[in-house]
Amino acid sequence: MVLVFLSIRVLPGDPVLARLGAATEVTPEALKALRVEAGLDRSLLAQLFSWLSHAVRGDLGVSYISQFPVTQLVGERIPVTLELTFFIILLSCIFSLILAPLSILKPGGKLDRFIGSLTSIGLSVPGFVTGIIFILIFSLTLQWLPSLGYVPITEDLGKNLQLLIMPSITGALTATPYLVRYLRASMLEIKQSSFIRTAEGKGLSDSRIMFRHILPNSLVPTLTMLGLIVGYTLSGVIVIEYMFGLPGIGSLAIEGAFKRDYAIIQGVSLVIISLFILTTLLFDILCGIVDPRLRVTKERQNEI
Amino acid sequence: MKFKKKFSPSGFIVLAIMAITLAAPILSPYDPYAIGVGEPFVGPGWKHLMGTDDLGRDLLSRVLYGGRITVFIALAATIIALIIGTLWGMIAGVQRGWVDEILMRTADATMAIPQILFALVCVAAVGASVVSLPIVVGILLSPTTARMARTAVVVELASDYVVAAKATGLKKSRLIMTEVLPNIAPQLLVQLSINAASAVMIEASLSFIGLGIQPPNASWGTLMLQGYGKLWNTYWFVLFPALVVTATILAFNSYGERIRVSLDSRKSSI
Repeated sequence: MVLVFLSIRVLPGDPVLARLGAATEVTPEALKALRVEAGLDRSLLAQLFSWLSHAVRGDLGVSYISQFPVTQLVGERIPVTLELTFFIILLSCIFSLILAPLSILKPGGKLDRFIGSLTSIGLSVPGFVTGIIFILIFSLTLQWLPSLGYVPITEDLGKNLQLLIMPSITGALTATPYLVRYLRASMLEIKQSSFIRTAEGKGLSDSRIMFRHILPNSLVPTLTMLGLIVGYTLSGVIVIEYMFGLPGIGSLAIEGAFKRDYAIIQGVSLVIISLFILTTLLFDILCGIVDPRLRVTKERQNEI
Repeated sequence: MKFKKKFSPSGFIVLAIMAITLAAPILSPYDPYAIGVGEPFVGPGWKHLMGTDDLGRDLLSRVLYGGRITVFIALAATIIALIIGTLWGMIAGVQRGWVDEILMRTADATMAIPQILFALVCVAAVGASVVSLPIVVGILLSPTTARMARTAVVVELASDYVVAAKATGLKKSRLIMTEVLPNIAPQLLVQLSINAASAVMIEASLSFIGLGIQPPNASWGTLMLQGYGKLWNTYWFVLFPALVVTATILAFNSYGERIRVSLDSRKSSI
């Protein structure tokens, strides 16, 4: 509920900035007429309300420059972003499900410290640096993978996947460290709880304890985190799409920013923020379904 | 507030990066804007330690000067974030009640916007310059700082010495400035360091997508963009700025981590 409220509060920023941008430009009369047409002469609040009320009905306005409806532009490009985000999340889940259990096999041990420093480095390497290194290795030196471009999934599945491998791994490498850290922490906490000692006392094998007891229990808190990570990924995807030449909404936003096309930037912002809020909400609900204990936390929420 | 005086490699690197970028005019072997000081696309060698770019400019000099811009933006943004964020969080933490609620909900709302997107919107609206970028990035980083500051203030206000100070009849404003603020300073320092890392990352990302510092000026991100465009000619061009950016972010992050670890051990030892 709070989140839905947030989404509305978040938005007033954009029209304000749109006006700022318009004010800094030196404008001939013709531009003024165009501005009236786009409704930019009206008061901010009026603009905001009309834009919001249209947005709710799925109309994000018309691009100031190309005159295409923004909804159509976003609709054409969003599948790329969604596909990329999906692969990034999938890969980072796989990576962290391998790395986190490995690192708590022996907390504080060599392997744990090694994975720990890997995640620290992973947190510090910007996505585009990883991307550049991948292109250098796999496209330029080994020539295994093409570096740029996109083929729709409906046209050629193999080509599509081939082009998405590098962007997906690049994105996954920036998301994985967060996930590994979080999963490791919650697994460690559960490993020390009494029911694990009971399981050990029963004589269960280590692998059974790990995969049947520790892992499922630590997945629930990680799910919430995953929702947030999807949000960060959506942000990181902007740069990744741009550098790998993928025609998603991220590169749409960048093109919009270059041309100062506020309609596009606003539209994309709204879509990305809504996606972010939706996924967070979805994961919150999912947590409630997976773990009934999390449903009765109304009183607890106020404590923090 | 005593730390064990041990040699800290990350702290050393942080200082070194600042010193080197500050001394860029002295250290640079060539003029970073002079075209044709060497042949284009010369590989790294004694004459040009990092090689040259497509216009025959010395890459080492360009990286040094680029560092000045990047580090300046990062530091300015960090200070702005620190001031706004600390005030924001402290007011929320001291006042509590509906003020707290409004301030923290606003922080949550701002944090819900993906950082790069927010920066993109701002830059599209006000343009990117050495003045606007620190402000944009600083505002971008202040909500996380505010959250941290608020938590720290709330924890401190509940501690015994604050109760004692209150009992002696100390004024609230004085209490905050002379008692609470110095005590949350180490936590702020951690945030400062992490913020600096994020600021370098955001600036580099923005410049890399071409919306940050514009040529002929070049931050590390701008250099990487130029190098990325010439990837098929030479790989040195993009690799050196990329390595420098990564090293800087890593240094800031691990310095922050280091202080946090020593803070935690201090707390648990009490």
